[in-house]
Amino acid sequence: MRHSITIFWRLKDNHYKIYVTKCRDCGKTSSFKRLRCPYCSSKNVEYLESKGLGELINYAISYYRTEGSEQYLPRVIGLVRLDEGSVVVGEVTDVDLSELSVGMRVEAVLRKYSSEDPNGLIYYGLKFIPVIKR
Amino acid sequence: MMVKTYVIGSGVTRIDRHYDKNYLALVDEAVSRALAASGLDVSDIEYLVVSTAFSETMLNQADPSTYIAQNLGFRNLKTLTVSSGEVSGAVALDYAHALIKAGKARKVLVVGFEKMSEYPSWVTNKAYTKILEYEVEGIKNVTPPDYAALIMSEYMRRYGVSREDVVKWSIKMHENAVKTPHAQLQFTISADSLGRALRISEPITMLDSHPVSDGAAALLVTDESATKKTGREPVEVVDVESSVNLPVYLRDDITYFSATAAAYKKLSTKNEIKLSKTTAVSVYDTYDIYGLLIIEALEICEIGKATKCLDELPFLNVSGGLKARGHPVGATPLYQVHELCELLSGASWAKYDGDVALAQVMSGPDNNAWLILLKRWA
Repeated sequence: MRHSITIFWRLKDNHYKIYVTKCRDCGKTSSFKRLRCPYCSSKNVEYLESKGLGELINYAISYYRTEGSEQYLPRVIGLVRLDEGSVVVGEVTDVDLSELSVGMRVEAVLRKYSSEDPNGLIYYGLKFIPVIKR
Repeated sequence: MMVKTYVIGSGVTRIDRHYDKNYLALVDEAVSRALAASGLDVSDIEYLVVSTAFSETMLNQADPSTYIAQNLGFRNLKTLTVSSGEVSGAVALDYAHALIKAGKARKVLVVGFEKMSEYPSWVTNKAYTKILEYEVEGIKNVTPPDYAALIMSEYMRRYGVSREDVVKWSIKMHENAVKTPHAQLQFTISADSLGRALRISEPITMLDSHPVSDGAAALLVTDESATKKTGREPVEVVDVESSVNLPVYLRDDITYFSATAAAYKKLSTKNEIKLSKTTAVSVYDTYDIYGLLIIEALEICEIGKATKCLDELPFLNVSGGLKARGHPVGATPLYQVHELCELLSGASWAKYDGDVALAQVMSGPDNNAWLILLKRWA
């Protein structure tokens, strides 16, 4: 898929890192850097950088082919509850489908999003893999 | 005196993959039928409101309303295009409703269309993914059926519902589509084919999903002055309401469609209505699991028990829903209104005695939910 380099550059804090927006008014947290709290609309927010560790709370195994996605299928799309509390949606990769389970510990890593740009650009961003035991 | 709004005529095309027709031909067909049903002439129309979600993406055409007006020879009227994802048609109707209520117009032609079959499925699928948020979900290639799969898994796990139970929705929709002349998938299905159905995003398969559809629908929306000309009983557009949900990944409970519930609360309080199991409702079952969650959010069935009450709902998606009637996106809400008007005016295959009917429309998994309340001519 063709993306805008400008948009990608501007979104670097949401695709090369994971931030959590914490509302100082209602106290709720939401994933991504946001201008306002999505729960109460307050602008009184602060940003915390997530360590990228969390728990897989749900997943789907996707065969839905979109332009340029065929080489990546099937893809695992998951909801991950970060250790900082909020949930993000993203791809789970480098995992044997038979090993997938709800509750599994995962961590964010930099991986390829797409490489079908007509000018040869490759776009990277964060995906999740099972936690590597160190 | 409060101005009331009516649908005095409507027309639709058969939903299909219309490889041999462009969008103008489909629109022309629907508009001709709506005009004939209404008893009005083109020269009577003050506004042409056009609804489409994907004309820029699939047809490389911005503002198709201008070109519809030019090609159909509609010169002396105001025209505009409404594009608001999967709820475009509901928004277009609300705009017409507001024009009439405000006294700004008396006769408005609302037309919806979509041509989703112009490219191979992977191109259509990419276009359809644009209903989600590009900067969060689109960039990561998270797609609409992925969310349906996540929601279905959670629902089955939480309420102990089986895969066979969920697909009962689709089976019912196909049974209804067989009796609907303009439906796309006029055949029955059974749970036996679940195991060999094409996987889309597990556990979602082809049996759970809407098809790729082309179609057009048109409604003549007027004040009371035009109701005498119509050959069919007019239907009143009583109210249109809506509400917005959080993104799926921020919801406390992804199996509860709170935008639909909130819109219903506003609509039911304001109009003092309560839906029952025998009220005619037409809901946005882009995936069968969504149909189940919608009838729970509309308080027609208890939470977690929708699969158990499907047999008690004789006027649920009598046309077969998005699942089997089809989903020509920008036109879909207008098909719903057309079908409910047929029910209320006695023109449908189903014989309905109720006074009101409700269309529920939404973009994505309840991201933006709209409700349209219709009432039989009194």
